[in-house]
Amino acid sequence: MQIDRRNLVASGLAAAATLGLPVPAVLGQARPRVVVVGGGAGGATAARYIAKDGQGAIAVTLVEENEAYQSCFHSNLYIGGFRSYDEIVHRYAALAANYGAALTLARARATAIDRERKEVALSTGQRLPYDRLVLSPGIDLKYDSVPGWSKESEEAMPHGWKPGRQTRLIRERLERVPDGGLIVMIAPPNPYRCPPGPYERASMFAHVLKQAGKARAKIVILDAKESFSKQAAFQADWEKRYGGMIEWLGPKVHGGIRSVDSLTNSVETGFETYLDCAFVNVIPAQMAGEIARSAGLAPAGGYCTIDPETMKSVSDPNVFVLGDACIAGDMPKSAFSANSQAKVAAMVMRHELTGSRAFPARYVNTCWSLIDTDDAIKVGGRYEPRDGRIAATETFVSAPGESEELRRQTQAENMSWYAAITADMFS
Amino acid sequence: MRAGDLPCAALALAAVLMVQARAAAADVALGEYLAAECASCHQASGRRQGGIPAIIGLPADQFVALMEAYRRGQRDNQVMRTIAAGLSADEIAALAAYYAGLKPAE
Repeated sequence: MQIDRRNLVASGLAAAATLGLPVPAVLGQARPRVVVVGGGAGGATAARYIAKDGQGAIAVTLVEENEAYQSCFHSNLYIGGFRSYDEIVHRYAALAANYGAALTLARARATAIDRERKEVALSTGQRLPYDRLVLSPGIDLKYDSVPGWSKESEEAMPHGWKPGRQTRLIRERLERVPDGGLIVMIAPPNPYRCPPGPYERASMFAHVLKQAGKARAKIVILDAKESFSKQAAFQADWEKRYGGMIEWLGPKVHGGIRSVDSLTNSVETGFETYLDCAFVNVIPAQMAGEIARSAGLAPAGGYCTIDPETMKSVSDPNVFVLGDACIAGDMPKSAFSANSQAKVAAMVMRHELTGSRAFPARYVNTCWSLIDTDDAIKVGGRYEPRDGRIAATETFVSAPGESEELRRQTQAENMSWYAAITADMFS
Repeated sequence: MRAGDLPCAALALAAVLMVQARAAAADVALGEYLAAECASCHQASGRRQGGIPAIIGLPADQFVALMEAYRRGQRDNQVMRTIAAGLSADEIAALAAYYAGLKPAE
C-alpha cells in the first residue's frame, strides 16, 4: 500500500494540534487564512467564532465597507418608536481589541473573487489571499420587480429593507402621515429577507399613528403571496389593537401590481387604484448580494445553494455562504439563522484547517415580531441536514388569543435576544 | 529506527494519546460546540437583560433538571421546549458540564 508521507505528517501535526501540543514551526508554514466578506449576522459571527475558538491558529480577515453595523433586525422597533437609532448601531472596535492576534478588520468593499487563485479583490486595490472564504453579503434588491419603481425612485418610495438612510426615511415619512392618510405597503414574493418583517412594520405604522391620535389613517398591504409568516396571530391582534387600520390583500384579491408612480404617490392594481398616498413603502423582490452572484455561486437573480452539512457552496469547497445570500432550506432569512449557520461553518473551517473536532451540523432559529407595546409573537424551530437540504425537525409559532402575559414575556425575550445576539456578533 | 519511520511513530503515539485525551475531554468539547447555539440568546458573559435568564455557572444537576423539564413539557416556553427536544441526554450532560465550569464575566 502506497502511503502518502505528506498526508501522514500533516495528520500527525493535526493530531498534535488537537491535543494542544506545539505544532513544529520547522515547516515554516504561515497560519491558514480565512477571509470573511460581510460584517453582519453571518460574517461577524463567523469571524468572531473562528478567532475566539481557534485561539490564533487561523488568521481571519473581516472585510466590511461600513464603519459601523446598523441592524435591520429591530429597525422596525426604531420605526415604531420603541428604540432609539443609536441602539441599533454597533461598532467593530471590540472585535479588533478582543481578538487582535487572530482577527484583522479590513474596511473596504470586496469587489471581486478570484476562486481559481483564491483571492479577494478589495476596493482599496488590495488583494487578500485565502485558504477558506466566507461570503455573507446579504441581499440585493430587484429594482425591476415592481412596475414603475426603480433605484431612482427609492427615495420617493422608500423600501427600508437595507439599514441606514432608508430606515430613517421610513420613519420620517411615517411621522408626516396625516390623520386619514393612506400608507400603501407592497410586500415581496418569497424568498426574501425577514419573512415577518413587513407585517411587524405595518404594526409599527399603526402603533405610531394611533399614539399620535391619527387612528383614521390606514395601511393597505398589497402582497405578492397568498399567506405570510405568523399570519393568524398578526391578523387577530391587528383587529384587537388597531381596529380596521391595517388591511391585507393577497394577489388573488388585488390582481397584481400594474404600476406605481413615485411622482404622484399612486399605486395601480388589477382591482383598485390608490391615489395620493401619504407614502408608499415598496419592499421589492430580492436576490443574493452582488459579490456572491459575480463569483458564480448563485444563478442570475437567485441565491446560493449550499451543502447543509457544512454551509459550503456546492460550487466551491473552499467557499462558505451564510445568511440571507444562501438557500437554507426551511430556515428563514433572518439574523438568527445567519448567526446559527456561521457557527457550523466556523466549526468546519477549524476542523479542516487545524484538525479540531468536527460535530454534526445543527441549526436553530427564532423570529420575534412586535405588534404593539408588550405584545410580541414568535415563530421558529430547529433544523438539520436531511436529503441534501436544511430541513426543519420541529417548529413552533405563536397562536392567536394567547394571554397578554405570554405576549409581554415574548417581547421581553425579544429584547433579551437582541442584546445577546449583538454581543455574540461584536463582543 | 530510520529517519523515514519518525513521522509514522509520531502519528501512532499521537493516535494513542488522542484516544485517551478524547475520552476525558469529550463532554466539555461537545458542550462547547453545543453551547454556541445557546449564545445567541443566553449571553456568554452571563449578563442578563430582561426575559432570558443567565445560565453561566449553573450547577450541572440543576441544568440537567431544567432541560429535562422542558423536554417533558413540564416547563413552558416554546423556544426552550423545541431546543431541549433536539438534545440527547448525553448532549444535555455535555452542556451541563460546560456551563457549570464557566464563571460570569465581571
